[in-house]
Amino acid sequence: MNALEVHNLRKTFGSIKAVDNISFGVPEGSVFGLIGRNGAGKTTTIRMIMNIYLPDSGEVIFRGAKIGQDFRDKVGYLPEERGLYKKLKVMETLLYFAELKGKTGKEIENKAYKYLNKFELYDRRNSKLEDLSKGNQQKVQFLTTILHSPDFLILDEPFAGLDPINTNLLKEIILELKSQGKVIIFSTHLMDFAEKMCDHLAMIDRGKIILNGSLSEIKSKYAQRNVSLNYSGDISFLRNHPFVEKIEDYGNSTGIRVKDNSYIQQLLRLLIDNNVTINKFSANEISLHEIFIELAGKDDTNILSKEVNNV
Amino acid sequence: MFNRRTLAVVKRELRTRLLSKSFILMTTLIPVFLFGVIAVQTFIYKYEGDEKAVLHVISESEEIISDLKSAFEESDYVKSGSIKVSFNASGRELIMDYVNSIKKDLLDDKITGIVFIPKDALKDKKLEYYSKNPNNNSLFNKIRETINKVLMDEYFAGRQLSNEEILFAKKNVDFSGFRVSKEDKVEEEGVGNQIVSFLFTFLLYFSLIFIGTIIMRAVVEEKNNKIVEVLLSSLDAKELMTGKILGMSIMGVIQMTIWLLPVIVLISSTWFMLPPEFTLTISLGHVGYLLINFFIGLVTYLGLFAAVGAMFDNDQDAQSGVWPIMILIMIPFFISIAMQSNPENQIAKITSMVPFFSLIVMPARMTIIDVPAWQFILSFAVNIATMLLIFPIAGKIYRVGILRTGKKPSLGEIIMWLKYKY
Repeated sequence: MNALEVHNLRKTFGSIKAVDNISFGVPEGSVFGLIGRNGAGKTTTIRMIMNIYLPDSGEVIFRGAKIGQDFRDKVGYLPEERGLYKKLKVMETLLYFAELKGKTGKEIENKAYKYLNKFELYDRRNSKLEDLSKGNQQKVQFLTTILHSPDFLILDEPFAGLDPINTNLLKEIILELKSQGKVIIFSTHLMDFAEKMCDHLAMIDRGKIILNGSLSEIKSKYAQRNVSLNYSGDISFLRNHPFVEKIEDYGNSTGIRVKDNSYIQQLLRLLIDNNVTINKFSANEISLHEIFIELAGKDDTNILSKEVNNV
Repeated sequence: MFNRRTLAVVKRELRTRLLSKSFILMTTLIPVFLFGVIAVQTFIYKYEGDEKAVLHVISESEEIISDLKSAFEESDYVKSGSIKVSFNASGRELIMDYVNSIKKDLLDDKITGIVFIPKDALKDKKLEYYSKNPNNNSLFNKIRETINKVLMDEYFAGRQLSNEEILFAKKNVDFSGFRVSKEDKVEEEGVGNQIVSFLFTFLLYFSLIFIGTIIMRAVVEEKNNKIVEVLLSSLDAKELMTGKILGMSIMGVIQMTIWLLPVIVLISSTWFMLPPEFTLTISLGHVGYLLINFFIGLVTYLGLFAAVGAMFDNDQDAQSGVWPIMILIMIPFFISIAMQSNPENQIAKITSMVPFFSLIVMPARMTIIDVPAWQFILSFAVNIATMLLIFPIAGKIYRVGILRTGKKPSLGEIIMWLKYKY
């Protein structure tokens, strides 16, 4: 059951096709990753979902109905470009944004205090935003996104510019919200995060969806002939080897694709025979990063031929 | 368009604006400033007169000299020492020699000037003045009366006339203005209404520009700080703009009411007796109309200011892009000021019913003269129509502009925005 369905969205700005016929579904209770490099069309897509931009064509369906104010009230949105009123106090900021979502009164105040405690901001509740550190401002921004208990969270590049501690805090919160059954969409160009957190994803490149589905399905499809290797030694003998299709160095690991599934055991033996010290050898594994590079890292003509929908 | 989200924005605007230091400061400082301007003007006017002048009065007739001496000695300006006068009798043929002999002092400002009263002055009252600054009107205005009086006394002295007759002849004509209106009574008119008319004009002009600039900057700030995208995830651009404009307009009306409190008290109570020349013949209705009109004006102009704010992403660009709106406020302001000296001015009459201009000209005009009802209604209808027309256009520009970044849009692009489907 999809909580949100995006049907054939298109948006052009002048001669630029920012979003070109995009469709995907976000299942209930999932963490959904919208991934792609900068300028791929993620933010434009999200803005159309948020009804900030009107699409040239296509529609967005939320639980069976076209999105409208009802959706806006139920969603918490953290835009990529963040901002708050500098002169407004922390507590006033939180209450104002909750009020815009239709939440007022003692209940929301108490909730705000609870969150402020959790985020170690309670002592700063009467400080002006401009007097807060950047990290704390980001916390407040995130609080404005979740204070009104949205059913649905849309986070545009939520990890951009966060320090490691806040990154972890945010991850925890996202997982906590997920455990409460909320639907979370986030966009990122950081494949590592997407891989760790999403269970469904759509990959956008140049305004088109090039990959869409659940993470496990995608990985199993792309991983079948793939080996992820950590090693020390010399593996140059594998280049041009008859059963190796290609080797790519991803820094932390090396991805090797064999021509057929059955060659994997032979590859392991071959490495040992050649005195390569193996630290990690995982068969049938591929990182999202590798898939992304494979699909999007080519020149334009290749991408068109490799377009994959609904794996 | 008006709902709880708009209301939330209105409330926030009011809370942050009404309690802000700048609001309290502006509300108290403007009257101080206004009175300050008047005080400074008066001071400068007075100060000019206070400059010490040294005059040499030369006459061909000894008799006139002695009369002038006593007349000048009695005058205020000689008593206060602001003008020092010395007297000499001399013939016409020697006057140039005399001027040349003290030329150096004249050029060094030791002597301000020489007044020469020829014999013929008793027939034609023509005097001569020799000075570095020969067109010193403020000096002439002071001494004119004194000399004129002496010449008249001298002139009438030889004739058999009574003092009464002479006094009458000396007296100038004096106008008392009476206002004729639809009401039965014909009242003597003071300058009170003119002052109020000027006050209305100035306050409207100042407030529109002041509040307009505030909203423009607020929009630029929201755009620049990227707050607007967070806001737009909760409410749509039209609701946001409506809320902001309503909030600011209410603030403006509250401020205007505070400023007009003295006027309201003056016309609604009998406690304060104004000297007749300052009597006000306006009613609370005038003030009421001004406030309603001001509210309509704010909604109209603030829409435009907000639209300009949405076009640009920094204050400098916005300031340079706002001039067409500034002109729309300044022209009626100048028309209104010019109207003070001639309320029946045709331009004022027409512009008091022209879109935008009527917002400033009509309130000032109606305090000076009785405006026919049809003009009044037309003006009001024009204002409402302008507001209803401008608001959606401004809303559209605001909606498109607010999410734009990058280079400044051209006029052509902005017109294109109006056609966008957003």
